[in-house]
Amino acid sequence: MHSKKLGWLLLAPTLLILGLFGIFPFLYVVWVSFHEWNPFAANPAKIFNWAANYRKLVFDAQFLASLGVTMAFVFFAVVSEVIIGYLLAQAFMKDFPGRAFFRTIHTLPLIMAPIIVGSIWKLMTTPSIGIIPYMLKHTVGFDLNIGTSAVAAFAITVIMDIWHWTPLVTLTLIAALVSLPSEPFEQAQIDGANKRQIFWHLTLPMIRPALIATVFIRLMDAMRTVDEVLMLTGGGPGSATRYVGVHIFREVFPRTNYGYGSAVSVIVLYLTIVICWLLYVSLIAPRTRKGSS
Amino acid sequence: MSEERKSKTRQPGFLPIETNWFDRLFIAAVIWVALSLFWMRFLEPLGLSVWISTVISVVLAVIIVKKG
Amino acid sequence: MKLMRRHRSWLSVLFWIAISFVTLFPIYWLFVISVKPAVELFSTPELLLRNVYWQNYIDVLNNPTLRGYMLNSLIISSCNAVLVTTLGFLACYALTRFDLPGKESIFFWTITNRMAPPAVFLLPLFLLLTQVYRIGDFKLADSRIGMILVYCTFNLPFAIWTLRPTLDAIPRELDEAAYVDGASPWTVISDIVFPLARPGVAVTLILTWVFAWNEYLLAATLTNFNARTLTTGLSEYVTTTGTAWGIMAAISVFTLIPALIVFSLVQKHIVAGLTFGAVKG
Repeated sequence: MHSKKLGWLLLAPTLLILGLFGIFPFLYVVWVSFHEWNPFAANPAKIFNWAANYRKLVFDAQFLASLGVTMAFVFFAVVSEVIIGYLLAQAFMKDFPGRAFFRTIHTLPLIMAPIIVGSIWKLMTTPSIGIIPYMLKHTVGFDLNIGTSAVAAFAITVIMDIWHWTPLVTLTLIAALVSLPSEPFEQAQIDGANKRQIFWHLTLPMIRPALIATVFIRLMDAMRTVDEVLMLTGGGPGSATRYVGVHIFREVFPRTNYGYGSAVSVIVLYLTIVICWLLYVSLIAPRTRKGSS
Repeated sequence: MSEERKSKTRQPGFLPIETNWFDRLFIAAVIWVALSLFWMRFLEPLGLSVWISTVISVVLAVIIVKKG
Repeated sequence: MKLMRRHRSWLSVLFWIAISFVTLFPIYWLFVISVKPAVELFSTPELLLRNVYWQNYIDVLNNPTLRGYMLNSLIISSCNAVLVTTLGFLACYALTRFDLPGKESIFFWTITNRMAPPAVFLLPLFLLLTQVYRIGDFKLADSRIGMILVYCTFNLPFAIWTLRPTLDAIPRELDEAAYVDGASPWTVISDIVFPLARPGVAVTLILTWVFAWNEYLLAATLTNFNARTLTTGLSEYVTTTGTAWGIMAAISVFTLIPALIVFSLVQKHIVAGLTFGAVKG
């Protein structure tokens, strides 16, 4: 075809911008993470200190605790979302009037800004004005206070995430279920298989690719949850909901200990890359190793 | 992923997935970081230098890239 | 039997009405809070609205700082959407029409840019934008142009991801025929490929606009005043005055409205967009 020069010229602005704001910050943060650097300390210069930041990091109880709560949050949120999402997708497969309409409503939370979701749930759960604590107190006598109870705050962040992202799971699984062929299921019913057998031996293996894709996308998104939690609880009470993103934003970033902050960022990125890579291997690699589109 | 990243036909290695040299280098790097961090947390306080973990990682890396 | 099925389908409808209630109630409640005077908030909550009190909205619109934030949000997300769609379109044209060495690796790498967690990039971007990326006295930090460029890190990969299948679907023979007729590459792109790709371009433009409009974390760290966006204004209201619930709700509604409009325009494409096309919505 025509000259490759033109092709590179068309790609150049994209590569330049992503290089300047994607790859270069990455290299820069790795480089800074091997230095002692606090511009507001007695010695504002960068001092190379080998892996001292990382040595400090593996003993940083706050950071490790925040990794722990992040994992707990991701686990509870993603597991609930997948189970609820699957049940809703199955419920959707029945024939009933107004399907498209309900599907549309169900899509609504997906487009909302995370910070707005946080703000909505803050308005609903703040003890003095929220409707949920009010209802709980007057119906079952339970005192819900996300400002003082660590468990309540954690649970509300999980519920908020379920409200926000279950629709994504539902809609992807609906797409997977709709595309299933009907013959194997009819055959299984003729052969007298019960519902549970059909689920474990037929439905689950057939929707497996879509299921894995959804789980990993949710996993990655849940790991980087920041905005809504920052808005809802600010990471509190104590460190009950201080997930890694919130930890970086609230505790690491304002400290101006840039070398150490960089080390934290690098390790979080490292964990994300490892998970992304597992996603890539389990999703794309087993298939016909053709282009990733 | 793409044609140019697919290595020439070769003996399947011990890793459970099909890999090229770049993938194996990446796996080795991931293992190196993880091992170093664990070493600094648990074994360095006992007096074992972190260089030992680096040497182990390099040996592992060579094995993975050569035979993985 | 037929009656039975009918009965079942009404059960389904009831079930989905309940689910929709769970989905919609928080949004409804946001609106309720935003149209209540502050004194009423602490009394017994009422599910139905008796009277509507617009003062919170008027206060927000009369606040010059918030008006500035709104303008910033509009300018940043609009410029960013146009920029990433244009650049993404050109990049996809190159990726689909040229036989460039390593283009699949480049494509994969651009996508990984979107998967990176923004929290990790707070510190390096802050340091680079305040200290390294500067021309004389002009720093990219706290400037609209800086935010427009920073938002490219997550929107440009998205634009490339969604536009590539669109451009792939346009037959190359059309380009070839135009080149034979002596057209320049730019006329081919603008007069032949672009009109055919218009639906895909529109969806990309709209969704990238929403993503930029919704962004909070980067805006909160990389801006002080000049380029603050509406989402950061919202969080300011929470931290400085814990009591201004009505104002906070009103700002939330203002932030939500464009997203709702967009939602009604492209709701079919949202799922495909959010799952990197792993699932066609």
